[in-house]
Amino acid sequence: MTRAGNDSQGDDPEERDPGLARERTSLAWTRTAISFAALGGVVLKVNVVTGLIVLAVAPMVWQLGRIAESGSPRTQLPAVGIVRIRLITVSIVAVSLLSLLVALLGPAAPGALR
Amino acid sequence: MSRTGRFTDLWRRATAVDEGGTEPDPRFTFANERTFLAWSRTALALVVAGLAIVQLLPPFPRVPVGRHLLGVPLIVLGAVLAVVAYTEWVRNQRALRRGEPLPKSLMPWILAATITGMAIISAIVVLLSALQ
Repeated sequence: MTRAGNDSQGDDPEERDPGLARERTSLAWTRTAISFAALGGVVLKVNVVTGLIVLAVAPMVWQLGRIAESGSPRTQLPAVGIVRIRLITVSIVAVSLLSLLVALLGPAAPGALR
Repeated sequence: MSRTGRFTDLWRRATAVDEGGTEPDPRFTFANERTFLAWSRTALALVVAGLAIVQLLPPFPRVPVGRHLLGVPLIVLGAVLAVVAYTEWVRNQRALRRGEPLPKSLMPWILAATITGMAIISAIVVLLSALQ
């Protein structure tokens, strides 16, 4: 198998354009950012301030995904590598703790979907 | 080894920058990253579901703690999944660098066990609230 990054020929689109993998990853980052926004929307319904905090994470995640697109050849990894993986992990743990607090301390209203 | 010693050791291993082996094909690294992101979204979806159950559903008749019983474990599992997804990303990247077979993943097992548990609790809560 030829290494990605060479201008290799072949029938496999992945071989001809290794940038596809990068594009898929970039789209995955966008989806993850949208997931954060969705959670922010639900939290917003319970507690406005906490909801805004969670919503603010979404653009950060989106920006982290865009780092992969800036500069450098399309097949190369961005230098941030493990840092953004860690950032996402920390964000999810923080956001779930916030959600837990909001769930336990939020208004024990009869429920908005009644 | 003391408990804190074991913890710091775990932490050091989880956060160490891996210099061993060689840089794998970038596509493999990207694929590993996408897998991590997919699990992250799963974790977020669990948190959303748990929060919605506790805060948006009307309470179950006769089972006042029903919503918390269902929602809180889902939110906690979301946090657990995120951390496990991180450790799996590290393990996979390590194996990729060394050309070793990918380690077996714990996550499907964790998820399946939780869904089964949640289904059982849901059935009990629904049955209890239906009993008159």
